[in-house]
Amino acid sequence: MCRFICSHKKNVLMDPSEVEFLSEKETVTIIPNFSLDKIYLIGGDLGPFNPGLPVDVPVWLALNLKQRQKCRIVPPDWMDVVKLEQIRDQERKEETFAPIPSPYYMELTKLLLNHASDNIPKADEIRTLVKDIWDTRVAKLRLSADSFISLQEAHAKLDNLTLMEINTTRMFLLDSLNCMYKLRSNMQPGSGATRSQDY
Amino acid sequence: MDVQSYMPVQPGVGMEENFLSLDDILLSQERLPCRTETTFPRLGFLEKSSDTRDIPEGSKMEMPLWLAKGLYERKRRVLSVELPKVYREGWRTVFSADPTVVDLHKMGPYYYGLGSQLLHFQNPENPEIAQAVLQTFIGRFRRTMDSAQNAYNEDTSALVEPLDSLERALFRVGQGGLNAFQRWETGSASRLTASSLVLNYRKRKITDLQD
Repeated sequence: MCRFICSHKKNVLMDPSEVEFLSEKETVTIIPNFSLDKIYLIGGDLGPFNPGLPVDVPVWLALNLKQRQKCRIVPPDWMDVVKLEQIRDQERKEETFAPIPSPYYMELTKLLLNHASDNIPKADEIRTLVKDIWDTRVAKLRLSADSFISLQEAHAKLDNLTLMEINTTRMFLLDSLNCMYKLRSNMQPGSGATRSQDY
Repeated sequence: MDVQSYMPVQPGVGMEENFLSLDDILLSQERLPCRTETTFPRLGFLEKSSDTRDIPEGSKMEMPLWLAKGLYERKRRVLSVELPKVYREGWRTVFSADPTVVDLHKMGPYYYGLGSQLLHFQNPENPEIAQAVLQTFIGRFRRTMDSAQNAYNEDTSALVEPLDSLERALFRVGQGGLNAFQRWETGSASRLTASSLVLNYRKRKITDLQD
């Protein structure tokens, strides 16, 4: 009767630092203060680097160069107080998730502000704004998760959600939905009642 | 990070139990009020309240779930299982009024599991029980979620106390997500720490082994 049910589910939450790692692939513009020929990497060619000429590089390289004081980072154009205020207001106004300028806005804000806050004007305001946007969105996520459960819906559309946002609630939501599914399948009569007799 | 030396098996929750789940093993010890429908010959010693040799037909006794499930048969009526009071009509109305006020841990820490297991016994109220258990879960979900995702760096014992063991597991999972995010946000995730295995490692002395 007690069939051995192989538990496929590994209880692994993707660690936020892994999400951050993924975000480091995004490109950002830097202004180098050294010159170097094009460098050829598996992920693509970077450079050439000339002093004073802006060039697009992945975030991981930008941060590395910045830490060695070899460049100045140009903040992405959404990382701006006016634009972020607009996004925040739209986010508060709408019931669904508003489009977000970067799928890694939270991670990039943290990385860039922590390592290159001297290159970003009004860093503190930006930090607060991004945190506001995050809080609004997470509150929305929780609200929609609750209505998803209480209305017993079968599917949901999660447009404009970022990986980090999904990641904070993924395990909890999946486990809850699993429980709910099992409790709901109890209501189908005869699903397990006959099996308990087969000794 | 929360590292465990083994992977705990999740409880089966539904009508099927998970054989290796510790929660389901504990659940099978839950007592159910039963009524015998036949005479159990020479088993009177099990019933401490009477001195008879047999357990007579129609006597009421409590049985653990595993025994009741084993003895219960639809065709040969050996015993009938009555509902524990949390699953009866009276309590079901309480749950449908406001599921969040009930202390499910006190009402039997395996409310959902036992409720599902009760469906094995052909009770006429089965559909209502299944419905009540599901609605209770849905009704309490918001509170479980909110407390799991808001309580950061505080004592959670008061929040956890009224939760069923299933909800407690969910609460822990939710806390895991929140804590991981907070650790990342405050920057402590990037700091390397010694593994708890290394910290707790002590050389075993030969004298300890010889005891």
